Amino acid sequence: MATPAVRMFRRLEGLFCVYKPSGVHWKLVRDSIETNLLKVLNATPSQPLPQEVRFLAQPSTETEAPKGLTLSATSVPVLSKHPLVSGPEFQNIQVGVGHRLDAFSSGVLVLGVGNGNKTLNDLYRTRVTRDYTLEGEFGTATDDFTHTGGVVERSTYEHITQDKLERVLAMLEGANQKALLMYSNVDMRSQEAYEMAVQGLLGPEGKSAPILTGLRCIHFQPPNFILEVQCLNETQKYLRKVVHEIGLELRSTAVCKGIRRTRDGLFTLQDALTRHHWTAADITQAIRQYHSSKKHRKRSQSPAKKPALKTSEDVTATQQNEANEEAATRWFFFVLFIWLDHTFLGDAPHIRPILFI
Amino acid sequence: MGSGHCICSYATLSKASRPQEKSSAGPVFQYVGQNKKPTPKVFVWGFSFTGALGIPSFVVPDSGRKKPRKYQLTPYRLETAEQISSAACGYGFSLIASSTKDASKLWGMGLNKDSQLGFQRTQHSRHQSYDYVLEPSPVALPLVNPLQTRVLQVACGRAHSLVLTDREGVFSMGNNSYGQCGRRIVEDEVYSGSHIIHNIEGFAGRVVQVACGQDHSLFLTETGKVLACGWGADGQTGLGHHNISSSPVEVGGDLSGVEVQQISTYGDCSLAVSRDGQLFGWGNSEYRQLASVTEATQINSPRHLPLKGCGKVVQAACGGTQVAVLNDKGEVFVWGYGILGKGPNLSESSTPEVIPSTLFGRSQFNPSVAVTRIRCGLSHFAAVTDRGELFVWGKNVRGCLGIGKRDDQYFPWRVTVPGQVVDVACGVDHMVAMAKSLL
Repeated sequence: MATPAVRMFRRLEGLFCVYKPSGVHWKLVRDSIETNLLKVLNATPSQPLPQEVRFLAQPSTETEAPKGLTLSATSVPVLSKHPLVSGPEFQNIQVGVGHRLDAFSSGVLVLGVGNGNKTLNDLYRTRVTRDYTLEGEFGTATDDFTHTGGVVERSTYEHITQDKLERVLAMLEGANQKALLMYSNVDMRSQEAYEMAVQGLLGPEGKSAPILTGLRCIHFQPPNFILEVQCLNETQKYLRKVVHEIGLELRSTAVCKGIRRTRDGLFTLQDALTRHHWTAADITQAIRQYHSSKKHRKRSQSPAKKPALKTSEDVTATQQNEANEEAATRWFFFVLFIWLDHTFLGDAPHIRPILFI
Repeated sequence: MGSGHCICSYATLSKASRPQEKSSAGPVFQYVGQNKKPTPKVFVWGFSFTGALGIPSFVVPDSGRKKPRKYQLTPYRLETAEQISSAACGYGFSLIASSTKDASKLWGMGLNKDSQLGFQRTQHSRHQSYDYVLEPSPVALPLVNPLQTRVLQVACGRAHSLVLTDREGVFSMGNNSYGQCGRRIVEDEVYSGSHIIHNIEGFAGRVVQVACGQDHSLFLTETGKVLACGWGADGQTGLGHHNISSSPVEVGGDLSGVEVQQISTYGDCSLAVSRDGQLFGWGNSEYRQLASVTEATQINSPRHLPLKGCGKVVQAACGGTQVAVLNDKGEVFVWGYGILGKGPNLSESSTPEVIPSTLFGRSQFNPSVAVTRIRCGLSHFAAVTDRGELFVWGKNVRGCLGIGKRDDQYFPWRVTVPGQVVDVACGVDHMVAMAKSLL
């Protein structure tokens, strides 16, 4: 029999994303969300204590010598199930973190609760790209590539024009496109390699060196500039190093002033919850939104199994869609099972159908 | 899903860079001034034992410990005295030229057994010429005004080369057994160690482009007329017969009255592109290069090639067995026989096949990448995009593709050249690329 707390927990299982502010370790974010959820879960009204029949010796009121023990059946509450004895129902909940963000960066951080962690594992394994906005400044080079680090060198930047920056970015993009082909495990002499290359599906499976699949400058006002990158298998330190190297290529120096992740897989800034919304109610709503959008996506994807390369203005790349397809079927089944679980089997959580693929 | 450039209302840009204590003691370095121009560079790669790469240490190592490098599989910088504006690769030799007015404006390296690089005096004897030139050595052109004339373009064939100047016409050197040098054929002429560099006469107007096939030569005048000389057994001279022609004769056929803007040849097939975007071809068609107009194996007179779906042709490039054209939208069409660039399954086609632009770097972030230059070697292709990237595909003969491996490449592959590529010349087993630095 599921308690109201357990029912609420079922509604909380899934994936959602938060906006991690900069200057904060990701673990603090995860811990505070877990604390908030636990507070609400344990505040649900507890069920009334079950009663049990115990044979207790009644204290005799008459002043007659007790010949034997007289026991009478009384219904007493089961004290061992009292929350003050057994502790709160939920001591901790599994809140997992997707692709991590270091303390200097900010942006979308995907978290999973309960059964959502299994989907998080799949997210980790599929080839999903992430979008970042990098803010840089010319003129300084520091030891940790950020504007707060120790200054190593200062140099002039008056010679830098947007045209030169575009040329350097084009060169970097070319090198990264080549890296995409080099790290893919497909035999280049096969027809399959050619077809995948035409559709843009060639890429590394699993771990590889960081690769920037897209790079462009969206704002240029010397000494400041903002780049938008789309990358695979990256770390934020690598992205800061990219800003530093762009400065070197331009025969000057550059530091990174800020990194913001604007998209992780299918979670964008629009869906991210800010600090004041890290409450159970908002999280439940975000998870509900995630589940419904998953259903919609599966329904729209099934008639066209292999969509042709579309030039959508949307940044969620088709190549990432294609890569997700393989895992999407797996996700779908997980989501289906979670949905089924919630609506039909909410009262008997232990009879869950095992629909693992 | 949000697009990347719109920042949400609740997420603000990070505050303006906080004023760091600018330590006045620290120096500020200036590496480059505002007026710095990009540095021109030349890169070579491919088979080096003929000396065609111009790097002697590959053939004769500097120290006893080093080994000779037979194949240079990635681009290697060739140091040149002047900025090179034109380069051409022949069958085992290369010519590079600068558009300067100085006395040395043309250098040659590689095979010189037919004096295709002119007379290269040896150190030991002034009557002998080197058979293999390992370093870019100046070619002494017999110019009337050596300090006024500029070299516009060079072209190399199997054993002959052509040099186009701006004021003194065309010079030819090398083998003339089939009249490809545009001069009278001499019986039993010995070409090795020959001093003859011939200034070709017989042009009605000024020549603006030259092209060398295997054993024939094509010339394009400023009025749009094409002249040809040399071997004609496959009809590659386009003069209506299969005989040798030892002086340039104007080609007719479908080209009469047409203004041609570009000619191209490297094997036994020749192509011409007219000013209004039409393509004309003649010569060898054994590999279905001209199959759109004929089933015969040769055509000896230019025929107009109706290309469906190609649009307006701006450039054509012709190899040994394959043909590529570029249209005004920057799309590349290929046909013929061999590795055409659409995977191993397409090994021959008689109609133009477009190569998808995603293979040349077109993506969501760069939707407008277009190819600006297309060149053909004997069995491979090279394409230069407007972003300065070089893509190659085809048979990797002795490492001529420059991709770092000796495998054939069945679809366009980027060559990592340190700089932006301006132009490229393709030979049989080596390539020369002219690039400029990024900044």
